[in-house]
Order: sequence, then C-alpha cells, then structure tokens
Amino acid sequence: MVTTSPATDERPLRFPLTSRRRQVWVVSAVCLVLSLIGIVRSWTDPQIGLPLRPGLDFTGGTQIQLERSCADACDSLSTVTVESQLQQIELPNQEGKALPKLENARVQLLDGGQSIVLRMPALTAAQGQAVIEALEPVAGPFEPGGQAVDTIGPSLGGQLLRSSLISLLVAFTGIALYITVRYDPRYAFLALVALAHDIVIVCGVFAWLGLATGHEVDSLFAVALLTIAGYSVNDTVVVFDRIRERHRMDGDLPLSTQVDRAVSATLTRTIYTSGTTLLPLIALILFGGSTLYWFAIALALGVIIGSWSSIALAPSLLSIWPSRSGAAASA
Amino acid sequence: MARQQGWFALILALAIAAASVLSSFPLQLGLDLRGGSQLTLEVQPAGEITIIGAEQMEAVKAVLDRRVNGLGVAESTLQTVGDDQLVLQLPGVTDPTRAADVLGSTALLEFRAQQAETQEEVQNLRQLRAQLLSVLATRTEDEATELDAEEQEELARRQQELGLDGTATSETEQLQQLLARTNQEILNRFEPTAFTGKQLISAGRQQQQNGSGWEVTLNFNAEGGEKFAELTQSIAGTGRLLGIVLDGELISEASVGPQYKAAGISGGTASISGNFTAEDARDLEVQLRGGSLPLPVEILEVRTIGPSLGAENVRRSLIAALSGLVLVGIFMLLIYRLAGAVAVIALSLYALFNLAVYALIPVTLTLPGIAGFILSIGMAVDANVLIFERIKDELRRGNTLIRSIETGFSEAFSSIVDGHLTTLISCAALFFLGTGLVKGFAATLGIGVLLSLFTALTCTRTLLRFLMSYQGLRRPTNFLPASQLPSTAS
Repeated sequence: MVTTSPATDERPLRFPLTSRRRQVWVVSAVCLVLSLIGIVRSWTDPQIGLPLRPGLDFTGGTQIQLERSCADACDSLSTVTVESQLQQIELPNQEGKALPKLENARVQLLDGGQSIVLRMPALTAAQGQAVIEALEPVAGPFEPGGQAVDTIGPSLGGQLLRSSLISLLVAFTGIALYITVRYDPRYAFLALVALAHDIVIVCGVFAWLGLATGHEVDSLFAVALLTIAGYSVNDTVVVFDRIRERHRMDGDLPLSTQVDRAVSATLTRTIYTSGTTLLPLIALILFGGSTLYWFAIALALGVIIGSWSSIALAPSLLSIWPSRSGAAASA
Repeated sequence: MARQQGWFALILALAIAAASVLSSFPLQLGLDLRGGSQLTLEVQPAGEITIIGAEQMEAVKAVLDRRVNGLGVAESTLQTVGDDQLVLQLPGVTDPTRAADVLGSTALLEFRAQQAETQEEVQNLRQLRAQLLSVLATRTEDEATELDAEEQEELARRQQELGLDGTATSETEQLQQLLARTNQEILNRFEPTAFTGKQLISAGRQQQQNGSGWEVTLNFNAEGGEKFAELTQSIAGTGRLLGIVLDGELISEASVGPQYKAAGISGGTASISGNFTAEDARDLEVQLRGGSLPLPVEILEVRTIGPSLGAENVRRSLIAALSGLVLVGIFMLLIYRLAGAVAVIALSLYALFNLAVYALIPVTLTLPGIAGFILSIGMAVDANVLIFERIKDELRRGNTLIRSIETGFSEAFSSIVDGHLTTLISCAALFFLGTGLVKGFAATLGIGVLLSLFTALTCTRTLLRFLMSYQGLRRPTNFLPASQLPSTAS
C-alpha cells in the first residue's frame, strides 16, 4: 500500500515521549491515586456508602420539576416556604402501603427561582399530582406543560447498573479480541489499561464532586462512561496503528524511538480530533440545558483524559514492554 | 474519471433520496422531547407461578393492551422489555394518575349468563353492533365519507333509542359512541355467576375438525368444571348466551347447544367455536389466559414530562447540535483550507444521511439519542482529520498534490477502519445488552459510525478528486501554508 514515502521521517520530534516518560507516569499515577482516594472516601462515607453518590435513577424516589410562570421576574421564593408547605400536605392513601414521608424532601430552586426541583421518596402518580396542587398556592402559578415528574423504583436503578456493567464487559472483551487479532495482545492489554485509567479518573472527579458539593450521578453518567470507553479505545488504536506502521518501516531502530516517532506523527491528529469532539460538547454544556449539562461535562473530561492516555500513557508503557515484543511485532 | 463520475452521481442520488425521505417521513420524537408519560411495569409472580415466562407475559400484555386502548390515548404503545417488564408510553399525557390506576389492578375474568327473556333484545343489539363495526371498518380518521340520508336517519334513531344526544363532533365519533353504548347495553343483559377466571386453568386453540375454522378451548379445574356444567345446563337450549367478560368488558358471547340441556357441558373442558380465523382465535385465547392469571402488576417507574419542557429540550439540543457543527466547520476551514471546505460538505451530507436513516428505520429520538448523534459528529470529523493530516505529511515530504491525496487516503484507511470498528463493537454491546436510554444512545452512535465510514471514505474522497480535476485548484497552498512546503517542491 505504501509506495513512495521516504522510509524515515526526518522531522524533529515534537513530543519526546521516551525522555519524559517518568513525568508522564507521575502525572497519571497522581491522578489515579487522587481519584481512588475520592472513590474510597465516598465509599466509606456513612452518608453515601457507595463509590459515587447515586442519584434518583439508582436509589429510587420521585423527582418533580415545576416551571413557574412569571411575567417578568418571579417573586422571591425560599426553599423553606416550599418545605413547610410540603409538611402540610395530606397525601391520598394507597391501599396496603405506608404513606411516603415528605419530611426529608429536598427542595432546589433553579434558574433564579424560576423552576423548582423536589426530591422525595417514591410517590404514586396520584400523590405526585397532590404535591403539585398543594404547592400551587405558594409557588404557582405553574407553566402548563412545564412540569416533569419522575418516579423510579429502586430495582430499576440496579437493573440499569447491571446491564451497563455487563454490556461494558462484553464490549471490552470484543474490543480486546479485535485488537489482538488485528495487532497484538500487548496492544489490546495496553488499550484496556488506558481505558481503565480514563474511567477511574472520571469516576474519581465525580466522587470528589459528590463529597464536596453533593452532586449525584444519574443514569446519563453511566451512558457517558460507556461513551468514554468507546472513544478512549478509538483514540488509542489510531496511535497504535501508527506505531505498527513505524515498526514495519524502521524495525531496526529501538522500540522507544519508533514509539516516539509514531506519537509525534499522530500528535496533531489526536489534538485536533479531541478539539473537534470538544467543540460540540462545549456547545452542549453552554446551550444543552440542565438535563445534559453534567453529561456533557463528564464526556468532555473523558475526552481530555482519553487524549492524554492515548498520546502519553499507553505508548510510553508500550516502550518499556519486555523484549519479546521485537519478535512478536515483526511477525 | 468515469468511475469518479459514477461515485459522484451515486452521492448526489443518495443526497436527493435522503432529502425526500426526510420530507415524507417525519422524525419520531421520544417522550422526553414531545412531552408525555412513560410507565414501566413489572409483572410479579404470584401463587403457583414463580417465574414469569414468555407465555405469561403475552397473556398479561393482552389484558393490559385492552385497558390501554380503553384510555383512548392516541399513539400509545405498550412494549415488552426484558423478561418481565412492560413499558407503556402515553404521548401528550401529563397526568398519569388514571393510567396508573387502570394498570395497577389484576385482571378479572368472569363468565356471565344472559338474563332470561332478553333474547330478542340482545339479538337486535348484536345485529346493530355488527352493522356498526362494518361501517366503522370502512372509515379512517382522515376520510370523512358522509353517511347518506337514510343511514343518517338510522343513526339518529338508534342514538335516541339508546339515550345518546348525538352531540359528538364527527360522524365517526358518533358511531364510536354508539358502538360503546351498544356494547354496554349488551353487557347489561348478562348477570354475574359464581364462575370466574380463577377456575380456568388454561386456554388454547385448535383447528376445527371439519377444517372450516378455528376454535378456542378451555380447561377448568374440578370446581370450575362443575360450575361450568351447572351454568351451561341452565342456559342450554334457551337461546340465552354465555358471556365472557374481561375487566368489565364483554369479549365474547357463546351459545350453548340444546344437546347440553340434560347435564351441561361437563368434563372440565369446553370449546368455543364461531367462525374464528386463526387470528381471532388467538386473540381470544391470549385474553382468556391473561384473565385466568391473577398476576399483579407493579409500577416501577413513571416519567412524566410536560410538552413545553420537551419543546425546550428540542430547542436546546438543536442549538447545541447546530452550533457544534458550525464551530467544527470553522475549525476545519481554518486548518485545512480547501480540504476543510470539502470536509464541511461531507459533514453536511453526513448529518443529512443520519437524519434520513433515523426517519427511515425509524429511530425514536430521545435526549441521549441526540447526544449520541452529536458525539458521532466528532467521530466523523476524526476520519477527515486523519486523512488530511496524512495528505499534509505527504506534501511536506515534497510529493505532488495528486499523489499526496491518494497516499493520504490509502494510509489513513486502516486507522479509520480500526477506530470505527472498535466503536461499533461497543455500540453493538450497548445496544443488545443495554436498557432504555442506553439503547437509544447506542443506536444513534452506531448508525453515525457506520455512516461516517461511508462519508469519509467515499464522499470526501470523491469531492476532493472532483475538485482536483480543476487546474486552478490544484495548488498545494490550498492545503497548507507555503512555509511548511519543502523548498524544492515542484
């Protein structure tokens, strides 16, 4: 396929990876350790007890979002008013089940008090409507058609988590097999190491967010992690593809030189691609609204970390792989 | 060159086809974008049934389908998800209280006997019902064929008879109201008996002995067999009918032949025949089975979103998608100049093809689905970046433009294919194993990745070659700054 290109690229290295690989490992190791501390602290936190602070999608409960209709500005409303109103609600009974308690309801005001978000234990559809009606006098009038009520049973969150984990494992296995067949088992192993690195760090950041600001992860976060996994591997594969190509051309040079050249040759591409993937994500962060805001942030973080692991971490680990590599790669 | 033109014509034809698909098939929006309620239900095991199998699910779904239809929500859908769950979507419904109430109860199947001395009345009502059904079957919502004067008179007379005021807006609606009232009137002529679905063990269907049609078979437990014999004995030969009532609605009426006058239908089994097609028999069988299974249904999840909030989601994600595309376009033009312009055209085609495929399959667009689409734009751009970077590399080495372009494509090929295929593997895993919103996301991302493979390897290439046939455009400086070219370049 290759016809006329000169065998070696004489241009100076733009990123001398091998000479800096210790720094690369230190950076990645520090990030990983910080992330793991966050995850473990969250896990041991009596209030959370899980690696990440789970949102409604995983714990179950009811979330009601109401858009207030105000002509110019909404009259001021405090969460306390809403909370005290909630205490007085008499919920319609549901036979055979205890009435959910509204004392622990969490009230949040968004968009300068224009929308109200309530989080409560799981309510039935009728009870949810009763809550909305009861709030109308203090916080209303509400925008017709501007309300969202989500009630989720706790078993569904577990199911989502389980199916996500299974599909992630299957995807990993499939990708590892594909890379093993197309390239080399080492490449497959390192692509998965890079992938685990990316996912742990993103989870770590959100674990810290959960500890510090009480941010909860929802089911979209699970989707974001799955996407980061796909993106990270794609990114790493391109760099590996170039290393393999260099290997065919300058097989007599040390492996670390081949890796350096391949990384330098793909550097622009990796940065441009990350940049062009970040652009729509930034647009989502800016204009996508509250539903997709944290989703886009998680993805953007994953893209940045994914680029780092494919430019720096995975190739630098490849360059120290024990010498059997020479025989394997030239096969 | 001829091959080039062939590709060019193909791309043009596809673009036109995509545009016409989009204009004739509307995009389907999920409930999070158009507003409505979504209920996730789980069928709970009860009594002797410890595991919910496909057969039980089918039966329960048949019962729920009937109730959902009773809600009268346009375009409502009820789908089986996983082993024991059902997802009900009610577009436009923002208060799901009634739906939750209606679905929450277990099925109630009853066998009722027609009251004495109502034979003629019921005969008339059944005739009217058959008439109404045949008239309604020929009418569709859009097509408002007028009834002729005689028919209108008949309709008015019947409405008056059954105490309807005929105020419904359209004729179709009036006919439907009349049908509902007729059904109710027929049901009123039946009286409850001690015999219910609990005594029914199973229902099946088989072809009739003489081969003319299908019949539905019933199997009762010992107690049920006795009661059924009693019940049938009491009405056999009198012309009174046996009514099968599911959730308060009459689903079938059967006559009992005079030969059972002496002992009723005994032996714990019975069959209902009546010119059933295979499909009719199946419908009745499944409903009977559903009615005989008192499986409770628990509501696991209710998601409701108001239409204006949904519209807001559409508006916001549209702004995000468009501004994302514009930003990427500007970036490509700045970095890759002429090639960037080609990429912008290829990416526009890419977006167009994507939307057309969504409309064609159809893919129901949800918020995560749109996110998947926006992300797949990133993948599509990546393919172009890979190619153009290779072209630049070749130019910097002093190769001619045409040769650089060809080498650029062939060398980027393996990275592009590998990158896309690994993403496709994840998408397949997510699509087949994931649930709900994960599925929607995997679907749009997967379609995007497949299309990106096509647009990058054919559209970008064809367009670039096409432009290179113009002498004036064939300058390396259209691709990268002169300072980066080797001084010896020809």
